[in-house]
Amino acid sequence: MADKNESFEAKDFGWMVAMSVLFLVLVAVCFWREFGTDWGSYQQEFPQLLGHYGKIEDARNFRAGIRQIWIPKIGVTDRCITCHLGYEWSSVLPARIVEPLKPHPMNDWIAKHDFAKFGCTPCHGGDGFATTVNGAHQGGRGWEDPILSRALATQYGLTMGEMIQMRCNFCHRHDVATPGMEEINLAKQLFKKKKCLVCHVVEGRGGATGAELTYVGDENPELLNFAHVKGEHTFFNWNVQHLTQASVVSPKTQMPDFNLKPEESRALTLMLLSWRRLPYPPEYIPDPAAAAAATQPSPTATPTPATMPSTH
Amino acid sequence: MGEKFRALWRKTVWAWSPESDRESSEAIVKNFWLHWFPAKVARASMDWNYSFWLGTASAALLLILTVTGVMLMFFYVPSTERAYGSIKDLEYAVSFGRLLRNQHRWAAELMVAVVYIHMARVFFTGAYRGPRAVNWVVGVVLFLSTLFLSFTGYLLPWDQLAFWAITVGTSIAKQAPVVGPTIQFILLGGHEIGQQTLLRFYVLHVFFLPVFVWILFGYHMWRVRKDGGLAAIERLRDTRTMVAKATPKTKSYSLFGITPGTSVQVMSSTGLEESDQVFSSPNMSRRIALVFLVVFNITLIAALMFNAPLEGLANPSVTPNPAKAPWYFVWLQELVASTTIRLSGFAVSGALLGGILLPGILLAVLTLWPWLDRSPRSAEGRWLAPERKRQNATFAVATILIIVLIMVGVYLRGPYWKIYWPSQPRPEMPRLY
Repeated sequence: MADKNESFEAKDFGWMVAMSVLFLVLVAVCFWREFGTDWGSYQQEFPQLLGHYGKIEDARNFRAGIRQIWIPKIGVTDRCITCHLGYEWSSVLPARIVEPLKPHPMNDWIAKHDFAKFGCTPCHGGDGFATTVNGAHQGGRGWEDPILSRALATQYGLTMGEMIQMRCNFCHRHDVATPGMEEINLAKQLFKKKKCLVCHVVEGRGGATGAELTYVGDENPELLNFAHVKGEHTFFNWNVQHLTQASVVSPKTQMPDFNLKPEESRALTLMLLSWRRLPYPPEYIPDPAAAAAATQPSPTATPTPATMPSTH
Repeated sequence: MGEKFRALWRKTVWAWSPESDRESSEAIVKNFWLHWFPAKVARASMDWNYSFWLGTASAALLLILTVTGVMLMFFYVPSTERAYGSIKDLEYAVSFGRLLRNQHRWAAELMVAVVYIHMARVFFTGAYRGPRAVNWVVGVVLFLSTLFLSFTGYLLPWDQLAFWAITVGTSIAKQAPVVGPTIQFILLGGHEIGQQTLLRFYVLHVFFLPVFVWILFGYHMWRVRKDGGLAAIERLRDTRTMVAKATPKTKSYSLFGITPGTSVQVMSSTGLEESDQVFSSPNMSRRIALVFLVVFNITLIAALMFNAPLEGLANPSVTPNPAKAPWYFVWLQELVASTTIRLSGFAVSGALLGGILLPGILLAVLTLWPWLDRSPRSAEGRWLAPERKRQNATFAVATILIIVLIMVGVYLRGPYWKIYWPSQPRPEMPRLY
């Protein structure tokens, strides 16, 4: 009996050993992968950098690990700062330090937007949950909020700062004008000058000839006709070209050709893309009157309520 | 060398070794794990080339899915607001979270495939005859439960892929005659996919379906023993009947008392010669451990190599183009699309024919096949018996057709459900910026 079992035992035992060894190797690979993070080397480098610029105490207290800015009420979980460690050290670290340890530039209006209250992705886009370089910056299929990188902005003839103004307008939508938001300010002026509301409804006002634009930034770009759009098929390009020469992009449209300058149609596109359904609670929305008073000293520029519907 | 190594292994691993056969058998009887199996098992059943151990592999996958699933439950939040974020957390912030999710995902997709191949094996060996017919039906129900388990799990990440796959799947269910809209309403918990759907799918996925499958799996295993083990021994029994031997009169005890009919001993063990059998422990228990280990390694390699898909957050107002059902239902979607007839503006939806009637008929025939099969018993327990040539060919052709439809749906269908060959460029779908 035993010798007949032997055939099973010998073969299966050999396989068992081989599979067990493979299993152990795989477990080792799992651990290697788990601890081989994208952020590990940056976090090793950062305390040395702090020490180099005299922050020896902070360097000593530095603890490695995933870091995040978590703001549940606006749906922000931003782990960007796991790598972008220098973001709040602009007073200590020089601006010439390269990413990701580079400090965030600082000016009056950035200082008003506390990192702990606003996080990173509300302005920059990208995937805040991610703790990998690719995951955070490149995204995958169905990527909704691509990061507003320099490369992306250049593609549309804008600087990164100008591109980001689109996202400033998430909260500043009802300001007449906002310091630092030149693109959007221009767009808001054009919106009035070209009398867009004659044909388009925005927030319950305007004529019904054109499409409602209240949340035009949420529109599905696949529903638009790209047959006559030059360049890449993006919502941005469609809007830029449509605003400049509507009759070319949509041959049957009633919209007149405004023949805007490129910078004008770009500015308007940025504003249109900012009109989205967003989770920001009232305390995030600035008082439009206060902003108007601060930026518009000239009384001629202030619209009268009778002729102009508030602001957009 | 091998002998020395084995002796060393035994010394290291075993604290005790039996002195006599009686001690050996007692050790087995007293041990739950070892007592699970019959005392002896036919050599023919142990053959890799007969069963490929696909049932054991399915059970291994079920165990892996249960364990990884329970671990995932500690992190997953079944709410439309937090589900997607909790998956992102698993991917990026939870220790081994991505690995866990990947392993769960690939084990689930593998289980659908392995359970089907297991069923195909049983069909091709004609192992569903006589008393085994009941277990065939149980197996079909287990296969459907596996599909439904996978389908309910598909929604949980609450990304675009999940949202629209379930939209497609439940829309096909809606086309069933009379009960269709009710089925869709019950599945969705309303008229459209939302929080109530997510909660329903979650409860089905983590409680009702797994418990159902585990209980049915237990019954399936018990039936395997009560029906006399694998059908591989049926051929052997014919050759062994030449040996005149008084079969002992035995009774078989089930959960519900004495079961009528032949007992395990008669059919699987004592009917066979001593030389036809080996002790279940350690031969079969070792083999089962080996199959589990192999399956675990395969899922772990898949988890390390490929990430489970995760697209953007579910957005009811933006339909991905094309929206596809999970791959094991894509052949139905493909049938629906190809049976939809368009005549100058009129469209006759193929959802009833392609989505309900055709798969319904296939399923009914599959379930009732043990009673429709008229081939001689000599075809039982043999791979591709010539007596069953025609039905084996039909089953193979049907399987290949389904695989082709799945391949077309998964790999060739592009935007607007048009065919794009791999060499053809697909139209670029518009992006935001």
